[in-house]
Amino acid sequence: MFSRALLRTVNPLRISIRAQSTNALSKTALPFTYSPSGPSAVKYTNQHEWLAAHSDGTAFLGITKYAADALGDATYVELPEKETQLEAGEAYGSVESVKSASEVYQPVSGEIMEANNNLESQPQLINTDPLGDGWIARIKIAEPDSLESQEGLLSLEQYERSLKEDE
Amino acid sequence: MSLLVSKGLSLRLPSRIVVSCHRSLVQQTPFDLDEGDDEKYRSFNNMYVDMFTPGNDLKAPFNGKEVRKSVNELDEINQEIDQLYNVGYHKITALELENLVKREGRFVLRSLSTDPYYNLALEDYVFSHTPISDRFFSHRLLFYKNDNCVVIGKNQTVWKEVFLNNLAQRGYEFIRRLSGGGAVVHDLGNINYSFITSRKEFDREFFNKLIVKWLINKYPDMPLQLNSRGDITLNGNKVSGSAFKIAKGKAYHHGTMLVQSNLEKFKGLLKPDHIDGLRWNCNSVESVRSKVANIPLRAVHEFIDICVTGWQNHFPLANKVPVYYCDQSVAINDDIKNTISKLKSDEWKYFSGPNFCVKIEQGNHDISVQKGIIVDSTIPGTVGMSFKDFSSSFPKLL
Repeated sequence: MFSRALLRTVNPLRISIRAQSTNALSKTALPFTYSPSGPSAVKYTNQHEWLAAHSDGTAFLGITKYAADALGDATYVELPEKETQLEAGEAYGSVESVKSASEVYQPVSGEIMEANNNLESQPQLINTDPLGDGWIARIKIAEPDSLESQEGLLSLEQYERSLKEDE
Repeated sequence: MSLLVSKGLSLRLPSRIVVSCHRSLVQQTPFDLDEGDDEKYRSFNNMYVDMFTPGNDLKAPFNGKEVRKSVNELDEINQEIDQLYNVGYHKITALELENLVKREGRFVLRSLSTDPYYNLALEDYVFSHTPISDRFFSHRLLFYKNDNCVVIGKNQTVWKEVFLNNLAQRGYEFIRRLSGGGAVVHDLGNINYSFITSRKEFDREFFNKLIVKWLINKYPDMPLQLNSRGDITLNGNKVSGSAFKIAKGKAYHHGTMLVQSNLEKFKGLLKPDHIDGLRWNCNSVESVRSKVANIPLRAVHEFIDICVTGWQNHFPLANKVPVYYCDQSVAINDDIKNTISKLKSDEWKYFSGPNFCVKIEQGNHDISVQKGIIVDSTIPGTVGMSFKDFSSSFPKLL
Protein backbone atom coordinates (compact mmCIF):
# COMPACT_ATOMS: atom_id res chain seq x y z
CA MET A 1 0.00 0.00 0.00
CA PHE A 2 2.83 2.31 0.95
CA SER A 3 4.77 1.60 -2.19
CA ARG A 4 1.73 2.18 -4.32
CA ALA A 5 1.24 5.60 -2.83
CA LEU A 6 4.88 6.32 -3.52
CA LEU A 7 4.64 5.24 -7.12
CA ARG A 8 1.97 7.76 -7.76
CA THR A 9 3.97 10.67 -6.49
CA VAL A 10 7.48 9.77 -7.53
CA ASN A 11 9.08 9.27 -10.91
CA PRO A 12 9.02 5.49 -11.54
CA LEU A 13 12.53 5.56 -12.95
CA ARG A 14 13.85 6.85 -9.67
CA ILE A 15 12.13 4.07 -7.82
CA SER A 16 13.79 1.46 -9.93
CA ILE A 17 17.21 2.99 -9.28
CA ARG A 18 16.53 2.91 -5.57
CA ALA A 19 15.34 -0.66 -5.66
CA GLN A 20 18.56 -1.81 -7.28
CA SER A 21 20.80 0.33 -5.19
CA THR A 22 22.84 -1.19 -2.40
CA ASN A 23 23.67 2.21 -0.95
CA ALA A 24 20.05 3.00 -0.02
CA LEU A 25 19.05 3.19 3.62
CA SER A 26 17.70 -0.06 5.12
CA LYS A 27 14.03 0.45 5.82
CA THR A 28 13.87 -1.93 8.77
CA ALA A 29 16.58 -0.50 11.04
CA LEU A 30 16.61 2.42 13.47
CA PRO A 31 18.10 5.07 11.15
CA PHE A 32 14.91 4.69 9.08
CA THR A 33 12.32 3.72 11.70
CA TYR A 34 13.31 6.43 14.20
CA SER A 35 10.47 8.47 12.69
CA PRO A 36 7.31 6.53 11.79
CA SER A 37 7.39 7.95 8.27
CA GLY A 38 11.13 7.48 7.84
CA PRO A 39 13.84 10.14 7.57
CA SER A 40 13.13 13.54 6.05
CA ALA A 41 16.38 13.40 4.05
CA VAL A 42 19.15 10.91 3.30
CA LYS A 43 22.45 12.41 2.15
CA TYR A 44 25.85 11.06 1.09
CA THR A 45 29.39 12.43 0.89
CA ASN A 46 32.25 11.76 -1.47
CA GLN A 47 34.07 10.25 1.53
CA HIS A 48 31.47 7.45 1.37
CA GLU A 49 29.46 8.42 4.43
CA TRP A 50 25.70 8.67 4.74
CA LEU A 51 23.43 10.75 6.92
CA ALA A 52 19.73 10.08 7.62
CA ALA A 53 18.08 13.24 8.96
CA HIS A 54 14.77 13.26 10.79
CA SER A 55 12.33 16.11 11.23
CA ASP A 56 13.25 16.67 14.91
CA GLY A 57 16.85 17.55 14.02
CA THR A 58 18.21 14.10 14.82
CA ALA A 59 20.41 12.36 12.27
CA PHE A 60 22.06 8.95 12.03
CA LEU A 61 25.51 8.55 10.50
CA GLY A 62 27.33 5.63 8.97
CA ILE A 63 29.42 4.47 6.02
CA THR A 64 28.04 3.34 2.67
CA LYS A 65 27.86 -0.20 1.37
CA TYR A 66 30.45 0.76 -1.22
CA ALA A 67 32.87 1.83 1.54
CA ALA A 68 32.15 -1.22 3.68
CA ASP A 69 32.81 -3.54 0.73
CA ALA A 70 36.04 -1.74 -0.08
CA LEU A 71 37.29 -1.96 3.51
CA GLY A 72 36.57 -5.64 3.99
CA ASP A 73 35.67 -7.33 7.26
CA ALA A 74 35.48 -4.80 10.07
CA THR A 75 37.36 -5.96 13.18
CA TYR A 76 36.93 -2.88 15.37
CA VAL A 77 34.88 0.29 15.33
CA GLU A 78 36.19 3.28 17.25
CA LEU A 79 33.05 5.03 18.49
CA PRO A 80 32.62 8.71 19.35
CA GLU A 81 32.09 10.03 22.87
CA LYS A 82 28.64 11.25 23.77
CA GLU A 83 28.14 15.02 23.86
CA THR A 84 31.11 15.74 21.63
CA GLN A 85 30.57 18.83 19.49
CA LEU A 86 31.93 18.38 16.00
CA GLU A 87 32.24 20.58 12.93
CA ALA A 88 31.41 19.32 9.46
CA GLY A 89 34.41 17.42 8.12
CA GLU A 90 35.84 16.46 11.52
CA ALA A 91 36.59 12.82 12.20
CA TYR A 92 34.22 11.28 14.74
CA GLY A 93 35.50 7.71 14.73
CA SER A 94 37.18 5.06 12.66
CA VAL A 95 36.60 1.60 11.30
CA GLU A 96 39.42 -0.92 11.38
CA SER A 97 39.45 -3.78 8.91
CA VAL A 98 42.28 -6.02 7.79
CA LYS A 99 44.90 -3.78 9.45
CA SER A 100 43.45 -0.56 7.97
CA ALA A 101 42.20 2.20 10.23
CA SER A 102 39.75 4.25 8.18
CA GLU A 103 38.52 7.54 9.62
CA VAL A 104 34.88 8.56 9.37
CA TYR A 105 33.79 12.20 9.15
CA GLN A 106 30.84 14.30 10.21
CA PRO A 107 28.94 15.29 7.07
CA VAL A 108 27.41 18.24 9.00
CA SER A 109 28.12 20.08 12.24
CA GLY A 110 26.39 18.76 15.31
CA GLU A 111 26.59 17.07 18.68
CA ILE A 112 27.02 13.35 19.26
CA MET A 113 23.97 12.09 21.18
CA GLU A 114 24.70 8.39 21.08
CA ALA A 115 27.13 5.89 19.59
CA ASN A 116 25.92 2.53 18.35
CA ASN A 117 27.35 0.39 21.13
CA ASN A 118 26.31 -2.81 19.35
CA LEU A 119 29.33 -2.24 17.13
CA GLU A 120 31.66 -2.86 20.08
CA SER A 121 30.85 -6.55 20.16
CA GLN A 122 29.55 -6.84 16.58
CA PRO A 123 31.77 -4.77 14.32
CA GLN A 124 30.64 -7.01 11.44
CA LEU A 125 27.34 -5.08 11.36
CA ILE A 126 29.36 -2.53 9.38
CA ASN A 127 29.59 -5.12 6.61
CA THR A 128 26.24 -6.90 6.90
CA ASP A 129 24.03 -3.81 7.18
CA PRO A 130 26.10 -0.62 6.78
CA LEU A 131 23.03 1.50 6.03
CA GLY A 132 20.93 0.07 8.84
CA ASP A 133 22.01 -1.75 11.99
CA GLY A 134 25.59 -0.75 11.21
CA TRP A 135 24.91 2.96 11.89
CA ILE A 136 27.75 4.50 13.88
CA ALA A 137 26.39 7.60 15.60
CA ARG A 138 23.21 9.52 16.31
CA ILE A 139 23.68 13.28 16.31
CA LYS A 140 21.72 16.48 16.85
CA ILE A 141 22.29 18.57 13.74
CA ALA A 142 23.45 22.10 14.57
CA GLU A 143 21.53 23.72 11.70
CA PRO A 144 18.92 21.27 10.44
CA ASP A 145 17.24 23.83 8.20
CA SER A 146 20.33 24.39 6.08
CA LEU A 147 20.81 20.73 5.22
CA GLU A 148 19.63 21.11 1.63
CA SER A 149 21.90 24.05 0.95
CA GLN A 150 24.99 22.54 2.57
CA GLU A 151 27.88 21.91 0.23
CA GLY A 152 29.20 18.45 -0.33
CA LEU A 153 26.01 16.58 0.49
CA LEU A 154 24.83 14.34 -2.32
CA SER A 155 21.55 12.63 -3.04
CA LEU A 156 21.63 8.86 -3.51
CA GLU A 157 21.47 9.34 -7.27
CA GLN A 158 24.33 11.83 -7.26
CA TYR A 159 26.39 9.55 -5.03
CA GLU A 160 25.80 6.50 -7.21
CA ARG A 161 26.68 8.54 -10.27
CA SER A 162 29.94 9.65 -8.66
CA LEU A 163 30.83 6.01 -8.00
CA LYS A 164 30.23 5.16 -11.67
CA GLU A 165 32.41 8.06 -12.77
CA ASP A 166 35.22 6.82 -10.57
CA GLU A 167 35.21 3.39 -12.08
CA MET B 1 63.72 -19.64 16.15
CA SER B 2 61.35 -17.37 15.20
CA LEU B 3 58.51 -16.25 16.70
CA LEU B 4 55.73 -14.79 15.60
CA VAL B 5 54.40 -11.81 14.18
CA SER B 6 51.13 -10.29 14.41
CA LYS B 7 48.54 -8.71 12.45
CA GLY B 8 50.63 -5.75 11.72
CA LEU B 9 53.92 -7.26 12.27
CA SER B 10 54.57 -8.63 15.58
CA LEU B 11 56.95 -11.08 16.89
CA ARG B 12 55.73 -13.66 19.24
CA LEU B 13 56.56 -16.93 20.81
CA PRO B 14 55.57 -20.07 19.00
CA SER B 15 52.59 -21.51 20.75
CA ARG B 16 54.08 -24.98 20.80
CA ILE B 17 56.91 -23.83 23.02
CA VAL B 18 54.72 -21.68 25.16
CA VAL B 19 52.53 -24.58 26.02
CA SER B 20 55.32 -26.87 27.09
CA CYS B 21 56.85 -24.11 29.11
CA HIS B 22 53.73 -23.25 30.93
CA ARG B 23 53.64 -26.71 32.31
CA SER B 24 56.97 -26.52 34.03
CA LEU B 25 56.37 -22.96 35.02
CA VAL B 26 53.14 -23.62 36.73
CA GLN B 27 54.90 -26.17 38.87
CA GLN B 28 57.61 -23.80 39.89
CA THR B 29 55.74 -20.58 40.17
CA PRO B 30 52.12 -20.82 41.10
CA PHE B 31 50.19 -17.67 40.37
CA ASP B 32 49.68 -15.83 43.55
CA LEU B 33 48.38 -12.43 42.81
CA ASP B 34 47.78 -11.51 46.40
CA GLU B 35 51.47 -11.35 47.11
CA GLY B 36 53.51 -8.43 45.97
CA ASP B 37 56.61 -10.43 45.31
CA ASP B 38 58.00 -8.54 42.35
CA GLU B 39 60.91 -10.86 41.83
CA LYS B 40 58.70 -13.83 41.35
CA TYR B 41 56.63 -12.20 38.65
CA ARG B 42 59.60 -10.73 36.98
CA SER B 43 61.00 -14.18 36.65
CA PHE B 44 57.77 -15.31 35.07
CA ASN B 45 57.73 -12.45 32.69
CA ASN B 46 61.31 -13.07 31.73
CA MET B 47 60.64 -16.71 31.16
CA TYR B 48 60.00 -16.12 27.50
CA VAL B 49 63.38 -14.57 27.16
CA ASP B 50 65.34 -17.02 29.23
CA MET B 51 63.94 -20.14 27.70
CA PHE B 52 65.28 -19.19 24.31
CA THR B 53 68.61 -17.78 25.22
CA PRO B 54 70.90 -20.73 25.73
CA GLY B 55 71.49 -23.30 23.06
CA ASN B 56 68.69 -22.14 20.90
CA ASP B 57 68.87 -23.90 17.59
CA LEU B 58 68.44 -21.33 14.91
CA LYS B 59 67.25 -22.19 11.50
CA ALA B 60 67.60 -19.26 9.24
CA PRO B 61 68.69 -20.70 5.94
CA PHE B 62 69.25 -17.36 4.34
CA ASN B 63 70.72 -15.40 7.13
CA GLY B 64 72.32 -17.76 9.53
CA LYS B 65 75.50 -15.76 9.76
CA GLU B 66 73.93 -12.57 10.94
CA VAL B 67 71.71 -14.28 13.42
CA ARG B 68 74.56 -16.11 15.09
CA LYS B 69 76.50 -12.94 15.67
CA SER B 70 76.51 -11.82 19.21
CA VAL B 71 73.80 -9.49 20.24
CA ASN B 72 76.05 -6.54 20.90
CA GLU B 73 78.09 -7.00 17.81
CA LEU B 74 75.04 -6.84 15.58
CA ASP B 75 73.73 -3.73 17.27
CA GLU B 76 77.12 -2.10 16.96
CA ILE B 77 77.35 -2.93 13.29
CA ASN B 78 73.92 -1.48 12.70
CA GLN B 79 74.88 1.69 14.47
CA GLU B 80 78.16 1.99 12.63
CA ILE B 81 76.55 1.50 9.26
CA ASP B 82 74.02 4.06 10.27
CA GLN B 83 76.62 6.66 11.11
CA LEU B 84 78.63 5.85 8.04
CA TYR B 85 75.73 6.26 5.66
CA ASN B 86 74.25 9.33 7.23
CA VAL B 87 77.22 11.54 6.59
CA GLY B 88 77.10 14.00 3.75
CA TYR B 89 73.39 14.08 2.98
CA HIS B 90 71.86 17.43 2.28
CA LYS B 91 69.02 17.68 4.77
CA ILE B 92 65.98 19.74 3.89
CA THR B 93 64.85 22.55 6.18
CA ALA B 94 61.44 22.87 7.81
CA LEU B 95 60.39 25.35 5.12
CA GLU B 96 61.60 23.13 2.31
CA LEU B 97 59.72 20.22 3.86
CA GLU B 98 56.51 22.24 4.05
CA ASN B 99 56.75 23.44 0.46
CA LEU B 100 57.59 19.99 -0.77
CA VAL B 101 54.74 18.31 1.06
CA LYS B 102 52.05 20.84 0.23
CA ARG B 103 52.71 21.15 -3.47
CA GLU B 104 51.71 18.45 -5.91
CA GLY B 105 54.19 15.93 -7.14
CA ARG B 106 55.86 12.68 -6.25
CA PHE B 107 58.94 12.33 -4.10
CA VAL B 108 60.90 10.00 -1.86
CA LEU B 109 61.75 11.19 1.65
CA ARG B 110 64.29 9.48 3.87
CA SER B 111 64.40 10.36 7.51
CA LEU B 112 67.88 10.17 8.98
CA SER B 113 66.41 10.33 12.47
CA THR B 114 65.97 7.14 14.44
CA ASP B 115 63.52 8.66 16.92
CA PRO B 116 60.28 6.68 16.45
CA TYR B 117 58.13 9.57 17.66
CA TYR B 118 59.65 11.97 15.16
CA ASN B 119 59.39 9.47 12.35
CA LEU B 120 55.75 8.63 12.97
CA ALA B 121 54.91 12.32 13.37
CA LEU B 122 56.80 13.17 10.16
CA GLU B 123 54.87 10.46 8.32
CA ASP B 124 51.59 11.82 9.67
CA TYR B 125 52.57 15.34 8.63
CA VAL B 126 53.41 14.32 5.07
CA PHE B 127 50.23 12.24 4.85
CA SER B 128 47.93 14.95 6.23
CA HIS B 129 49.28 17.72 4.01
CA THR B 130 49.62 15.84 0.75
CA PRO B 131 47.29 17.66 -1.67
CA ILE B 132 44.44 15.70 -3.15
CA SER B 133 43.18 16.29 -6.67
CA ASP B 134 41.09 14.43 -9.21
CA ARG B 135 44.13 13.28 -11.10
CA PHE B 136 46.35 12.25 -8.23
CA PHE B 137 50.07 12.35 -8.85
CA SER B 138 51.38 13.22 -5.40
CA HIS B 139 52.44 9.76 -4.30
CA ARG B 140 55.01 9.86 -1.55
CA LEU B 141 57.41 7.20 -0.42
CA LEU B 142 59.06 7.49 3.00
CA PHE B 143 61.79 5.44 4.63
CA TYR B 144 62.81 5.51 8.29
CA LYS B 145 64.48 3.39 10.91
CA ASN B 146 63.52 3.43 14.56
CA ASP B 147 65.60 2.81 17.66
CA ASN B 148 64.50 -0.13 19.78
CA CYS B 149 60.76 0.09 20.30
CA VAL B 150 57.56 -1.93 20.32
CA VAL B 151 54.71 -0.47 18.29
CA ILE B 152 51.08 -1.55 18.61
CA GLY B 153 48.08 -0.75 16.39
CA LYS B 154 45.82 2.08 17.47
CA ASN B 155 42.96 -0.28 18.31
CA GLN B 156 44.87 -2.74 20.45
CA THR B 157 45.00 -3.24 24.21
CA VAL B 158 48.55 -2.61 25.38
CA TRP B 159 48.41 -4.81 28.49
CA LYS B 160 47.24 -7.75 26.40
CA GLU B 161 49.90 -7.31 23.71
CA VAL B 162 53.08 -6.15 25.40
CA PHE B 163 55.35 -7.11 28.34
CA LEU B 164 55.65 -3.52 29.54
CA ASN B 165 58.10 -4.38 32.33
CA ASN B 166 60.44 -6.14 29.95
CA LEU B 167 60.33 -3.20 27.56
CA ALA B 168 61.23 -0.80 30.33
CA GLN B 169 64.03 -3.01 31.65
CA ARG B 170 65.56 -3.51 28.24
CA GLY B 171 65.19 0.04 27.02
CA TYR B 172 62.49 -0.46 24.40
CA GLU B 173 60.11 2.43 23.94
CA PHE B 174 56.42 1.56 23.88
CA ILE B 175 54.47 3.26 21.11
CA ARG B 176 50.86 3.22 19.96
CA ARG B 177 50.73 4.21 16.32
CA LEU B 178 48.03 5.98 14.32
CA SER B 179 47.27 3.14 11.92
CA GLY B 180 45.54 -0.19 12.43
CA GLY B 181 47.02 -3.66 12.70
CA GLY B 182 49.03 -5.55 15.29
CA ALA B 183 52.10 -5.32 17.48
CA VAL B 184 55.64 -5.28 16.10
CA VAL B 185 59.21 -4.82 17.33
CA HIS B 186 61.54 -2.31 15.65
CA ASP B 187 65.30 -1.97 15.85
CA LEU B 188 67.96 -0.42 13.62
CA GLY B 189 68.19 -3.58 11.52
CA ASN B 190 64.59 -3.08 10.43
CA ILE B 191 63.64 -0.59 7.75
CA ASN B 192 60.18 0.99 7.61
CA TYR B 193 58.63 2.15 4.37
CA SER B 194 55.52 4.21 3.95
CA PHE B 195 53.64 4.64 0.69
CA ILE B 196 51.11 7.47 0.49
CA THR B 197 48.47 7.46 -2.23
CA SER B 198 44.88 8.55 -2.86
CA ARG B 199 41.95 6.67 -1.38
CA LYS B 200 40.67 6.03 -4.90
CA GLU B 201 43.88 4.31 -5.94
CA PHE B 202 44.47 2.61 -2.62
CA ASP B 203 44.86 -1.14 -2.77
CA ARG B 204 46.32 -2.99 0.22
CA GLU B 205 48.50 -5.26 -1.92
CA PHE B 206 49.66 -2.75 -4.51
CA PHE B 207 52.93 -1.67 -2.97
CA ASN B 208 53.99 -5.02 -1.52
CA LYS B 209 53.46 -6.62 -4.93
CA LEU B 210 55.88 -4.07 -6.32
CA ILE B 211 58.41 -4.72 -3.55
CA VAL B 212 58.32 -8.46 -4.18
CA LYS B 213 58.69 -7.86 -7.92
CA TRP B 214 61.69 -5.58 -7.45
CA LEU B 215 63.40 -7.94 -5.02
CA ILE B 216 62.88 -11.00 -7.20
CA ASN B 217 64.09 -9.04 -10.16
CA LYS B 218 67.42 -8.63 -8.42
CA TYR B 219 67.47 -11.98 -6.62
CA PRO B 220 65.51 -14.44 -8.77
CA ASP B 221 66.17 -17.29 -6.34
CA MET B 222 64.90 -15.55 -3.25
CA PRO B 223 61.80 -17.54 -2.17
CA LEU B 224 59.57 -14.54 -1.48
CA GLN B 225 55.82 -14.59 -1.41
CA LEU B 226 52.92 -12.34 -0.52
CA ASN B 227 50.59 -14.14 1.88
CA SER B 228 46.83 -13.75 2.20
CA ARG B 229 47.27 -11.01 4.79
CA GLY B 230 49.45 -9.01 2.45
CA ASP B 231 52.62 -9.83 4.41
CA ILE B 232 55.85 -10.69 2.62
CA THR B 233 57.27 -14.08 3.55
CA LEU B 234 60.57 -15.85 2.92
CA ASN B 235 60.37 -19.64 3.06
CA GLY B 236 57.08 -19.07 4.84
CA ASN B 237 58.61 -16.85 7.54
CA LYS B 238 57.41 -13.29 7.74
CA VAL B 239 60.02 -10.71 6.78
CA SER B 240 57.64 -7.79 6.33
CA GLY B 241 54.27 -6.82 7.75
CA SER B 242 51.96 -3.97 6.97
CA ALA B 243 49.40 -1.60 8.41
CA PHE B 244 47.21 1.02 6.78
CA LYS B 245 45.38 4.23 7.40
CA ILE B 246 42.68 5.85 5.30
CA ALA B 247 41.68 9.47 5.90
CA LYS B 248 40.56 12.58 4.00
CA GLY B 249 40.59 11.03 0.56
CA LYS B 250 44.08 9.61 1.01
CA ALA B 251 45.61 6.41 2.34
CA TYR B 252 48.96 5.15 3.42
CA HIS B 253 50.43 1.72 3.55
CA HIS B 254 53.39 1.42 5.90
CA GLY B 255 55.36 -1.68 6.51
CA THR B 256 58.48 -3.10 8.08
CA MET B 257 61.27 -5.06 6.45
CA LEU B 258 63.52 -7.10 8.73
CA VAL B 259 67.02 -7.00 7.25
CA GLN B 260 69.56 -7.23 10.03
CA SER B 261 67.30 -7.15 13.03
CA ASN B 262 68.46 -8.67 16.25
CA LEU B 263 65.66 -11.21 16.37
CA GLU B 264 67.12 -12.87 19.46
CA LYS B 265 66.40 -9.75 21.42
CA PHE B 266 62.77 -9.57 20.30
CA LYS B 267 61.80 -12.45 22.53
CA GLY B 268 59.87 -11.63 25.64
CA LEU B 269 58.67 -8.27 24.36
CA LEU B 270 55.36 -9.26 22.81
CA LYS B 271 52.97 -11.43 24.76
CA PRO B 272 51.85 -14.84 23.57
CA ASP B 273 48.21 -15.59 22.81
CA HIS B 274 47.54 -16.72 26.31
CA ILE B 275 49.04 -16.22 29.73
CA ASP B 276 47.86 -18.53 32.50
CA GLY B 277 45.78 -16.85 35.14
CA LEU B 278 44.40 -14.09 32.96
CA ARG B 279 41.43 -14.10 30.65
CA TRP B 280 40.93 -11.09 28.44
CA ASN B 281 37.60 -10.12 27.02
CA CYS B 282 38.47 -7.49 24.48
CA ASN B 283 36.88 -6.36 21.28
CA SER B 284 40.19 -4.82 20.38
CA VAL B 285 42.29 -5.92 17.43
CA GLU B 286 44.36 -9.03 18.12
CA SER B 287 47.84 -9.60 16.83
CA VAL B 288 48.31 -12.61 14.57
CA ARG B 289 51.32 -14.66 15.55
CA SER B 290 53.76 -15.54 12.78
CA LYS B 291 57.30 -16.79 12.53
CA VAL B 292 59.67 -14.09 11.43
CA ALA B 293 63.06 -13.93 9.73
CA ASN B 294 65.46 -11.41 8.28
CA ILE B 295 65.55 -10.96 4.53
CA PRO B 296 69.04 -11.79 3.18
CA LEU B 297 70.06 -8.39 1.91
CA ARG B 298 73.43 -6.76 2.62
CA ALA B 299 71.98 -3.89 4.63
CA VAL B 300 68.80 -1.88 5.05
CA HIS B 301 70.26 0.55 2.54
CA GLU B 302 70.15 -2.10 -0.12
CA PHE B 303 66.42 -2.47 0.43
CA ILE B 304 65.93 1.29 0.18
CA ASP B 305 67.99 1.44 -3.02
CA ILE B 306 66.03 -1.40 -4.62
CA CYS B 307 62.72 0.30 -3.77
CA VAL B 308 63.77 3.78 -4.85
CA THR B 309 65.11 2.55 -8.19
CA GLY B 310 62.03 0.40 -8.70
CA TRP B 311 59.74 3.28 -7.86
CA GLN B 312 61.56 5.70 -10.14
CA ASN B 313 61.37 3.21 -12.98
CA HIS B 314 57.67 2.77 -12.31
CA PHE B 315 57.16 6.16 -14.01
CA PRO B 316 59.36 5.81 -17.10
CA LEU B 317 57.84 8.80 -18.88
CA ALA B 318 57.77 11.26 -15.99
CA ASN B 319 60.63 13.25 -14.53
CA LYS B 320 62.77 11.17 -12.24
CA VAL B 321 61.18 11.00 -8.79
CA PRO B 322 63.47 13.04 -6.51
CA VAL B 323 64.89 11.77 -3.21
CA TYR B 324 65.16 14.07 -0.16
CA TYR B 325 66.63 13.62 3.30
CA CYS B 326 65.61 15.12 6.61
CA ASP B 327 65.96 14.80 10.35
CA GLN B 328 64.43 16.36 13.42
CA SER B 329 67.22 18.84 14.03
CA VAL B 330 65.97 21.02 11.15
CA ALA B 331 62.88 19.52 9.50
CA ILE B 332 60.52 20.11 12.38
CA ASN B 333 57.48 22.34 12.80
CA ASP B 334 54.54 22.85 15.15
CA ASP B 335 52.40 20.18 13.46
CA ILE B 336 55.14 17.58 13.87
CA LYS B 337 55.86 18.69 17.44
CA ASN B 338 52.17 18.43 18.34
CA THR B 339 51.94 14.92 16.96
CA ILE B 340 55.10 13.93 18.85
CA SER B 341 53.53 15.25 22.07
CA LYS B 342 50.33 13.36 21.37
CA LEU B 343 52.15 10.10 20.65
CA LYS B 344 54.25 10.49 23.81
CA SER B 345 51.31 11.32 26.08
CA ASP B 346 49.83 8.89 28.58
CA GLU B 347 46.47 10.11 27.31
CA TRP B 348 47.14 8.54 23.92
CA LYS B 349 49.14 5.52 25.08
CA TYR B 350 47.06 4.35 28.03
CA PHE B 351 43.75 6.25 28.10
CA SER B 352 42.50 6.19 24.51
CA GLY B 353 42.38 2.55 23.46
CA PRO B 354 39.47 0.15 23.22
CA ASN B 355 37.36 -0.79 26.23
CA PHE B 356 38.07 -4.21 27.69
CA CYS B 357 37.41 -6.63 30.53
CA VAL B 358 39.97 -8.88 32.19
CA LYS B 359 39.38 -11.79 34.53
CA ILE B 360 42.12 -12.50 37.06
CA GLU B 361 41.61 -16.15 37.88
CA GLN B 362 43.40 -15.95 41.20
CA GLY B 363 40.67 -14.64 43.45
CA ASN B 364 38.22 -14.80 40.56
CA HIS B 365 38.25 -11.06 39.96
CA ASP B 366 36.64 -9.23 37.06
CA ILE B 367 37.71 -5.79 35.98
CA SER B 368 36.08 -3.61 33.29
CA VAL B 369 38.03 -0.76 31.79
CA GLN B 370 36.83 2.14 29.64
CA LYS B 371 39.27 4.66 28.21
CA GLY B 372 41.94 3.37 30.57
CA ILE B 373 39.84 3.82 33.73
CA ILE B 374 38.42 0.96 35.81
CA VAL B 375 34.64 1.37 35.68
CA ASP B 376 33.63 -1.90 37.26
CA SER B 377 35.61 -4.23 39.49
CA THR B 378 35.20 -6.98 42.05
CA ILE B 379 38.29 -5.73 43.88
CA PRO B 380 37.18 -3.16 46.47
CA GLY B 381 38.53 0.35 46.04
CA THR B 382 39.69 -0.03 42.45
CA VAL B 383 36.77 1.58 40.60
CA GLY B 384 37.85 4.97 39.28
CA MET B 385 41.52 3.98 39.30
CA SER B 386 43.47 4.08 36.06
CA PHE B 387 44.31 0.61 34.78
CA LYS B 388 47.86 1.85 34.28
CA ASP B 389 48.22 2.46 38.03
CA PHE B 390 46.32 -0.69 38.91
CA SER B 391 48.56 -2.85 36.73
CA SER B 392 51.68 -1.57 38.48
CA SER B 393 50.53 -3.40 41.59
CA PHE B 394 49.68 -6.53 39.58
CA PRO B 395 52.93 -7.37 37.77
CA LYS B 396 51.17 -10.30 36.14
CA LEU B 397 49.48 -7.75 33.91
CA LEU B 398 52.70 -6.10 32.80
